[in-house]
Amino acid sequence: MYQLFFTPSWFNGYDLVFEGISLIVALLIAGYSWKIYCMSHENRYGYFSLAFILIGLSLALKMFTYGVLYFGSLREVVATALSPVTGTGLEFADLFYRAAFFLQMVGLLGAWLLIFFVSQKSRERLHNFYEVSQITLFVYLILLISFVSNFNYTAFYLTCAVIMGLTVLNYYKNYLNTKRNNNAFLVMIAFLFVLLSNISFIFVFLWESMYVAGEVFLLIGFLMLLYAYRKVRRS
Amino acid sequence: MGSRRSRLELIFDILLAIQNKGGRIKPTHLMYKSNLSHKLLNMYMEELIGKELIAVQEEFHKKREAPVKTILLTEKGSVFLAEYRRMREFTDAFGL
Repeated sequence: MYQLFFTPSWFNGYDLVFEGISLIVALLIAGYSWKIYCMSHENRYGYFSLAFILIGLSLALKMFTYGVLYFGSLREVVATALSPVTGTGLEFADLFYRAAFFLQMVGLLGAWLLIFFVSQKSRERLHNFYEVSQITLFVYLILLISFVSNFNYTAFYLTCAVIMGLTVLNYYKNYLNTKRNNNAFLVMIAFLFVLLSNISFIFVFLWESMYVAGEVFLLIGFLMLLYAYRKVRRS
Repeated sequence: MGSRRSRLELIFDILLAIQNKGGRIKPTHLMYKSNLSHKLLNMYMEELIGKELIAVQEEFHKKREAPVKTILLTEKGSVFLAEYRRMREFTDAFGL
């Protein structure tokens, strides 16, 4: 049987609050990056903004799908509203849930890859052809991993962990290149917590409490991003 | 030699040069401080005047018996400088 979620029952709902906070942080960063893109017209800011919008969308979708699973009253409302899609006997509900999970994974994988892509400091801004070829490769990988992960969620978190590991390395280099800038250090640590979060999610099948650890690490990561963002805006 | 400056970096360098001179500077000094050619500086100055980030003041110089131009940094220009510094801090922090 396909396991829908791994949340310990006592944690039901708390993870939605954590994700709500992370969603707000993601949208704040996306908004400011978009503002810079509108002023400078440099693609990297647009990509960065898109990455955080994707994170926001993915978190919102996760909050919705998990909320439906946790809360019976919400489940009934959604089942009624979506009966044309899921069928009167909910015979297509499983397919619908898998589709939602697929979209979550596509969003999150796309976001992490974009952030990795942007955090690689190229000497010259990427030429159009190179950008297009890299993006095409990323889109293919995202779709492939997301499809496979529908049958084995570990593949998704393992891929995220690998991408985040490389991203943390890029941010460490950035920290050194900016002469140990405090805000760059905060961002590096934030992504390190996101990496720890993904590693925790890989082992959920062993211990359910790893889900809680993963959610807590993810929240800490986003709170650190928020703190770095606030420091920058107030400078 | 450093890499080419972006448009925003050029604008920042121009406005910063004016700010470093107490908010007013002569065109020739600005050209040297911002490291721009005469043609490029005039091009950017037109844009900056249009966006009200700088203003040009002409005063009649008794000795030269000719008007002397001075470039002034406006309030809007100061705000832009502060905002650009925040943008640069964001760029450094997030590795963009």
